[in-house]
Amino acid sequence: MANRTDPSAKSIRGTNPQNLVEKIVRTKIYQNTYWKEQCFGLTAETLVDKAMELDHIGGTFGGNRKPTPFMCLVMKMLQIQPEKEIVIEFIKNDDYKYVRILGAFYLRLTGTDTDVYQYLEPLYNDYRKLRRKLPDGNFTLTHVDEVIDELLTKDYSCDIAMPRIKKRWTLEATGSLELRKSALEEDFEEEEEKEENDQVDGMDEDVHDRDYYHGRSPARERERDRRRDSHRYRDRDYDRDHDRDRDYDRERGRGRDRDRDRDRDRDRDHYRLRDEKDYGRDRDRDRERDRDRRERDRGRRRSRSRSRSHSRDRDGGDRDHKRHARSISPRRPDREELKKKKEKKKEKKDDGTDHPDPEIAEANRLRASLGLKPLK
Amino acid sequence: MIEVVLNDRLGKKVKVKCNEDDTIGDLKKLVAAQTGTRSEKIRIQKWYNVYKDHITLKDYEIHDGMGLELYYN
Repeated sequence: MANRTDPSAKSIRGTNPQNLVEKIVRTKIYQNTYWKEQCFGLTAETLVDKAMELDHIGGTFGGNRKPTPFMCLVMKMLQIQPEKEIVIEFIKNDDYKYVRILGAFYLRLTGTDTDVYQYLEPLYNDYRKLRRKLPDGNFTLTHVDEVIDELLTKDYSCDIAMPRIKKRWTLEATGSLELRKSALEEDFEEEEEKEENDQVDGMDEDVHDRDYYHGRSPARERERDRRRDSHRYRDRDYDRDHDRDRDYDRERGRGRDRDRDRDRDRDRDHYRLRDEKDYGRDRDRDRERDRDRRERDRGRRRSRSRSRSHSRDRDGGDRDHKRHARSISPRRPDREELKKKKEKKKEKKDDGTDHPDPEIAEANRLRASLGLKPLK
Repeated sequence: MIEVVLNDRLGKKVKVKCNEDDTIGDLKKLVAAQTGTRSEKIRIQKWYNVYKDHITLKDYEIHDGMGLELYYN
């Protein structure tokens, strides 16, 4: 019958490839007229023609959850299981962006982890616009690289649950993948060099691509260690400032920017120094530099540039002098920040999460996480 | 604050605490958090009336303790 998978097709992830799409959505696709009329008896070649006619991507829409032609074609590909070369041809072709996305989607569903990263990452450089159908039936604008990012980072797209793939840094650690080279890398390096020239002492500007996905990379652990150490050396004020800076860094910029900022954040110096230029907290800067020097000494074992460490040591000696010289600076800014922090924390509690009844407090916490107001 | 019961007749019966001025969309999010399905996949009905996402519970006259039907998209 028309809906049965090709008998010579391999099983994907241990099951019939069509089962990658869950039951309800699959049933909706089988009942769809586009599927019945256009997708009957398609082969790999004729599928290309149909794919070239696509003009939007999307999942199911409307009250009836009608599937889009894009989804029907994905289902057809799962059914006939084209060769890997054909799928790669789909991805490599430059003329038809929807064919490219179709190939990318299929590869994400069926390919191995290494393949997925290898073939989908070059598509990050494609900035063309795409039309996406929303669940309520309207269209919205998106771009090829946004869709690829969604495919690589999220586990659900176009109403189909994506299989789990390993995080990039895991694959890099095992050696199956190279470090990611972004097309914008030269721009970032220029920017970093400029910043370095502006500042007094040398910064660690290794490009740590490893943690550029939101995975829990070793770099994160380093941050955690740093946080732990900072408790020992400093008082609470600085920790709070830390958190603030880190969060601020996380929020600003997306994608590559964020990773770069995280890189910078790791040597929190950057941020601190910028603040200090604004507020002139010399004492903080000196303490910060000492702390970072210590941390960088620890991190040096793992860091990749060895040459810089020498210059850093030399600078460290100078910094000690400076620290003794400028020990007097107003403590007031710290107190004000403390106050602001306390108020901010109090505000959050007004959300209702400190309700005496634990059940209601729990419910309110859930609501706050979903973005809803507390229970009345 | 009202408590609504949702039953899908296949084994999932959940009680959800919510406000009257919450929309059905918010209720779906709360149900999704409790059952584990995605909120886009949930459909809330009463007999053949499919409840729409943007209308509040108060407008649908959903009171405390009322039972709704839980279906999936």
